[in-house]
Amino acid sequence: MRVSLNWLADYIDLPSWEPTGLAGVLESLGHEVEEIDRLAPQFHGVVTARVLEVDPHPRADRIRVCRVTAGDEPMTVVCGAWNFEAGATVALALPGSTLSGGMEIGRRSIRGVVSNGMICSERELGLGEEAEGILVLDSAVPPGEDLASFESLTDTVLGLSITPNRPDVMSYVGVARELAAYYQVDYRLPVAEFPQLDATPRIGISIEDPSGCYRFVAREVWGCQVSSSPFWMRTRLRASGQRPISNVVDITNYVLLELGQPIHAFDLEELEGAGILVRRARSGERLTTLDGVDRALTPSDLVVADGERASALAGTMGGGASEVTEKTTAVLIEAAAWDPPTVLHMSKRHGLRTEASARFERGVDPQLPAQAATRAAQLVSRLTGGQALREVKDIIAREDRLVPATITLELREAERILGPGFDSGRVVDLLSRLHLGVDGEDPISVEVPTFRPDLRRPIDLVEELARLWGYNNFSERVPRGPGGGRSIPQRRTRTLRQTLGGLGFSESVSLSFMRATEIEIWGWEHEDERTHHIRLKNPLREEESILRTTLLPGLLRVAKYNHSHGLEDIAIFELGRVFLDRPHPVLPKVPDQPERMGILATGRLGGTGLGHTPRPVDFFTLTAVWRALCNHLDLREWRLESIEEAGWHPARAARLILDGKPVGTIGEIHPAVVRGAGLSGRVIAMEVELGPLVADRDHWQFRAPSVFPPYTFDLAFETPENLGADDLLAATGRAAGALLESARVFDEFRGEPLAEGRKSLAINYTLRAPDRTLSGEESGKALRSMVDAARRLGAELRGEL
Amino acid sequence: MENLTALLENAPVLVDGVNSLEALGAVESELLGRRSLVAELQRGIGKLPPEERPGLGRAIQQARRVLGEMIETRRGHLKAEGERMMLESDRVDVTLPALEYPEGYTHLITSTIEEVCDIFIGLGYRVVGGPEAESGIYNFDALNTPPTHPSRLESDTLYLDWGDPEDEILLRTHTSPMQARYMEKHDPPVYVVVPGKVFRADTPDATHSPVFHQIEGLAVDESLTFSDLRGTLAYFAREFFGSERRIRMLPNFFPFTEPSAEMHASCFSCEGGGACRVCGGVGWIELLGCGMVDPNVFEWVGYDPGEVSGFAFGMGVERIAQVRHGVSPLRHFFDNDLRVLSQFR
Repeated sequence: MRVSLNWLADYIDLPSWEPTGLAGVLESLGHEVEEIDRLAPQFHGVVTARVLEVDPHPRADRIRVCRVTAGDEPMTVVCGAWNFEAGATVALALPGSTLSGGMEIGRRSIRGVVSNGMICSERELGLGEEAEGILVLDSAVPPGEDLASFESLTDTVLGLSITPNRPDVMSYVGVARELAAYYQVDYRLPVAEFPQLDATPRIGISIEDPSGCYRFVAREVWGCQVSSSPFWMRTRLRASGQRPISNVVDITNYVLLELGQPIHAFDLEELEGAGILVRRARSGERLTTLDGVDRALTPSDLVVADGERASALAGTMGGGASEVTEKTTAVLIEAAAWDPPTVLHMSKRHGLRTEASARFERGVDPQLPAQAATRAAQLVSRLTGGQALREVKDIIAREDRLVPATITLELREAERILGPGFDSGRVVDLLSRLHLGVDGEDPISVEVPTFRPDLRRPIDLVEELARLWGYNNFSERVPRGPGGGRSIPQRRTRTLRQTLGGLGFSESVSLSFMRATEIEIWGWEHEDERTHHIRLKNPLREEESILRTTLLPGLLRVAKYNHSHGLEDIAIFELGRVFLDRPHPVLPKVPDQPERMGILATGRLGGTGLGHTPRPVDFFTLTAVWRALCNHLDLREWRLESIEEAGWHPARAARLILDGKPVGTIGEIHPAVVRGAGLSGRVIAMEVELGPLVADRDHWQFRAPSVFPPYTFDLAFETPENLGADDLLAATGRAAGALLESARVFDEFRGEPLAEGRKSLAINYTLRAPDRTLSGEESGKALRSMVDAARRLGAELRGEL
Repeated sequence: MENLTALLENAPVLVDGVNSLEALGAVESELLGRRSLVAELQRGIGKLPPEERPGLGRAIQQARRVLGEMIETRRGHLKAEGERMMLESDRVDVTLPALEYPEGYTHLITSTIEEVCDIFIGLGYRVVGGPEAESGIYNFDALNTPPTHPSRLESDTLYLDWGDPEDEILLRTHTSPMQARYMEKHDPPVYVVVPGKVFRADTPDATHSPVFHQIEGLAVDESLTFSDLRGTLAYFAREFFGSERRIRMLPNFFPFTEPSAEMHASCFSCEGGGACRVCGGVGWIELLGCGMVDPNVFEWVGYDPGEVSGFAFGMGVERIAQVRHGVSPLRHFFDNDLRVLSQFR
């Protein structure tokens, strides 16, 4: 809400109007000041002038020759506007003056007539958008005044953001009331006393639906003449962010801003029948609103109907058929109290948020309509020359809404939440300043006026006490909790993250969505849980319409993004939840959403140096990463099982088995999927359940390093193609027993002199005893049993022992 | 004897004149070898009269020692020089980046969460997580947010087509549901922080993302007041943004806290005024929303609102990271451009 300080001064006298200080006060009260806009005339040398005569131009049809006076000698000015006649007071730019935008005005001849300056429009003065006619000032303004010195043109406007719980502050009077509480001064309401006509209103009012409409006040003004509103009102509305339209429409906006009560004006002549009915819309009913949109209504919409048709969307926007126009001669002023949720849902449903709906959806004081309708009637009769009827139609459907609430506040409650110092003296003083009715000392009985719908419970009053006392006047104290910190899985997750970072993988954080096509390229079977994704009911874009069932598409997307920005070597990981179409194992009602670890790399990985080429990533890069993770996380019981699964390289993928249970997949992504993701080359990936990786484990136990010498030797075995290296290592290791310190494969080859279907694995072993130097006899025995164990797997020692 | 004196006089020139260990060896055998003057004199000592023998003997021993030391000193120098020459040939351009280890980086969102959690762990808080796909019950009802509240509209909240429509399964719009979930399962005192992903019905642009991260804080105890909230947030601001920080709190409105406030910290980049990148010249940076836990929330979880009190706060992780490091626009947090990730520390 834009608040003009010039206008605000109608309702309150403040000790200081300095804008920055005032903004600080409003902010301390909870009303954020988003901007401070200083308005000043952008012209100089412009004076007020009275038009004495208007004559046709001898040589041009579309311009006229005016005799004007700026207080002294009359002079001639040529003007192209037609919205004034002799007697009008106008803004005259004298020769030598400068207008908004820097245009300089001189004395010049227009078709043979010398013009001593220019009569200005609002746009030329930088005051508004209106360029059709010239600016016509109030006739009471004397000629010869410097227009730039008009106080109304120098103003400061505060852009306030009012929180949704405070509809009472969304008006000039509301802002004045808040400042009055802070500064402990009085505020003023506009006085609405004016001559009224004793006649019978033409339109009767009835409310069919009290759930939607608490109160409806109507006043009629007859004999109106619709034209533009006076300069002072236009200036105020513009400063407040409203575009002036015509006097009647401007008055509705003026009263809305002044009191906070939205007003609607109907053209009385265009209303059908003799009554207005507030009812729910009928299905199939349509209404063309003032913005020109033809809208289909539903039975949950609330309308103001005349005769048989809907004529306005309650509290939201009027209809075009009964719109006030230049031809209007009589108006019906509506000021109503609508049910906030009804208006909220209606404005959301129709995508139509207006100044009126923004207030009604938060709750407008049901005491306000009568006062506001009267204020509007006063202004309409004054500015349009019409006569307001004395008789007011005021239909109250919900009397209960007009009754002030009463809250009992115990002092203990204030001190319990706010701390010591909130004794009865302070509490009574603060609450009284907020215009609440206060009775008693402890407990205090507080009567809440209807303009504060947000105050219903003692805690609401406690907040008001804190607010007016000043949030920044409280002391600071730091309480300490009982501890707890991070859980073991949280700590192990941090270790995992640091390990991956050390291995050269950067952490990626993706949105938790995927596209259906991103999952289709993997070619998974319908039985696969990853194809059963959960859809959003109200997605904004296709990219964010389904929840991810796997981290892999997101990682591919990141790889693609980086690839298309010229990066070849990509190593990333992500830790996050996936969402599966099955119930959560522990929490009722919500879907399962386990945490996963996803890793992806392409290009090269490893240290780079002069004369050293980093290794392109492949399956073994991944197993190395996995091994390192297992070492750092102390995962001991794991193995890989070769698998063939859609989406993965048929010969380079494995299932990860941890503690006997499958926990994930590791492998090279199938080239078809890689192409589908817009990438090329080898792309390696792994997706693993995070839970088992970071779950609590037995503590590892120290083994004293042996001080005795090692026995190190190499063995090369010729094995069948299908024998896994792991199996050979495990079998020979078991055979060596407790003596085995390490075993490492250092060579693998196929081809001559080996037969087809055979391969050679060369392994480097270290044996060592903790308590003695191994004798030749001991080591020989171990060696033989290792070779025997290998033979049982079909692996033959190459060469002699 | 004269010969010996002459030898000792000439020897330094001889020894210091050689420039290699080989040449030094030759000089050594010339001076001290079997055919050297000292060896010759030694051999001839028996032919001298007995009274002269001790004198000459001492002179020979003296000459041997002097020559030996002279040679060893020279040898030491030559060896050191040799090593120096060898090392000199090893000279490198110290500015040449010849080797790079692979480095991976923790995402700024994660490191920010970890740092904030560390600060609160120091105050005795526990770190807990919660489901991202939530029910309307925990996301709204438990948090005093009535069914008509605008935040529940589809224009604000992302709903899932899953489960019983009555349960309003949705993507949590804040980390606050964990307030209710945690209090439901634990008795006071409660001191927890809840980091995690949250979701809103927002199309991505410079300042919006359908996904972002929050850290929720909740403290419930027997006698917590507004001063405890203020003190805790001031402590956080000083730990995270620097020890000079002051805070200010402005009244605001949230359904699940009352009184509610918005917390600002004094700008760490300027003294207020001017065109500051961080605060826009205001001198204050809006950091988070907070307040005293609303009694309705306590009632919902089964606490007695007359017996306990507490405070809660919720900060945007991207927001505070953005303020501190200038990462902008918001999409840089989620594009995962390695050129950006590698800037994260």
